[in-house]
Amino acid sequence: MNQADVTKLVSKLRIPLKPSPRNLKSPQGPQGRLDKLRKTVTGLFKYERIELNYNRADEARGYAERLISEAIRHGDSHQQTMEMANFWLMEKQLIHKLFKVFVPRFQNSNQSYTRMLNAPRPYPGEKFKKSVLELRGNPFPSLTPELGYNRNLLHNVLLEEARKEFRATKLTESTAESSNVKEGS
Amino acid sequence: MALRRIVKNVTSSYVNITQIPVRRQGMLFLSTVDAAKTSEEPADVRKPVAPPSYRHIYPEFLPDPKMEWRNDIREKLERKDMLMRRVEIDIPEFYVGSVLAVTFADKHAQSKSNRFVGICIERAGCGLRASFILRNVIDNQGVEIKFEMYDPKINKVEVLRLEKRLDDHLRYLRDSPPEYSTFPLDMEPEPLPEDAQVPVNKIQVPLKPRPWLERWERQNLQGIQELDLPDKFFKRAEELATPWEKYDLVKEYRKTIPEEDQQEIYAEVYSELHQLEISRRKMKRKKVFTKPKKTG
Repeated sequence: MNQADVTKLVSKLRIPLKPSPRNLKSPQGPQGRLDKLRKTVTGLFKYERIELNYNRADEARGYAERLISEAIRHGDSHQQTMEMANFWLMEKQLIHKLFKVFVPRFQNSNQSYTRMLNAPRPYPGEKFKKSVLELRGNPFPSLTPELGYNRNLLHNVLLEEARKEFRATKLTESTAESSNVKEGS
Repeated sequence: MALRRIVKNVTSSYVNITQIPVRRQGMLFLSTVDAAKTSEEPADVRKPVAPPSYRHIYPEFLPDPKMEWRNDIREKLERKDMLMRRVEIDIPEFYVGSVLAVTFADKHAQSKSNRFVGICIERAGCGLRASFILRNVIDNQGVEIKFEMYDPKINKVEVLRLEKRLDDHLRYLRDSPPEYSTFPLDMEPEPLPEDAQVPVNKIQVPLKPRPWLERWERQNLQGIQELDLPDKFFKRAEELATPWEKYDLVKEYRKTIPEEDQQEIYAEVYSELHQLEISRRKMKRKKVFTKPKKTG
């Protein structure tokens, strides 16, 4: 039985997290795993949308979300947060981007900061699942179809015409009523 | 099992969902009408918010951070049982490094009860299985007893000296001279002024020469004097050290309970615990008043 660590307060992550970490094989062992994830997180912050294998994307997602949540919680004058950002972001201009762009973008949101989508696997090829990892609010066009109101669909065209007709009949009725009332008085 | 946990995390993390009937106590006050207003609703309207010190005073109320062993219902029932036990006996605030005296029922003793005084070297477990180990040296023999905080055999827990130390555990006292673990069995309580911060004892304990029970040079211990060992030990400790772990954000997250969950848990138990604290403080003051000590 373990006792939860109470020395540090963390914000709740808004993404699903596996109970145990993935190993991400590398010759340097656990340090190599973190180095790989550093590169992924740096790439994600730099390009805001990257395509990579599913397992690495899922691991990096947790770290990206944690980094952003720490930056939002503590701000840029907190020494430990700066050290963390310095470790995870290998290009130093991204540290500025984190605190000046991403923190204001995400600090008032209730949703997760990243979005992970399945990507098509090139056939024939490796049997690794591909995925796209992106930050919300990125400047690129959306990858998911926009399921909003499409006025060119047939049923919407018919409904719009029906609404116009209804309003027109209502208008004629009301003008007929007002003219009757005028005549009566 | 892992899939179920993932689904739970997804649904409980989104605040604005109104259609899903929410089970957690913290969200029971929401209805589909009021859901939109939650962000503007003040926190103390519906339920009290516990002070941030509660996670240090009552750390065993937080569940095991290991996701596979979490169970909301079991945790709720455990917290209820913990509160019921705390109504019966006063389990005071203490830390690793405090000196406690525990009176417990002992079927082998003449008076069927026994008292042990010792320094708390470790605190472990959560919920009803929370435990602590007290160490003392009696007749030149080091003795450690592991007590479970919510054990019904425990009759009384007194804090004789309330203080903290520089480390999370004091297992190195097993490899240090006995005077650092010896406390008189008839030790008088050393009261602190009310509302004073818990003092930190920055003592640096010397260790006896090797062999030791654990490789203390490989643990980052602050409360021991500089170790007088050949270089090869420190070199090996450096080789085995994992300096990248302090940057492992997700590992840190898996070992903690996030703040939002902590607040929910302590809000559940705050009012009862606060009442108990107040009533016990009153009883303490009355006791001090009515029992003056004899002098001369």
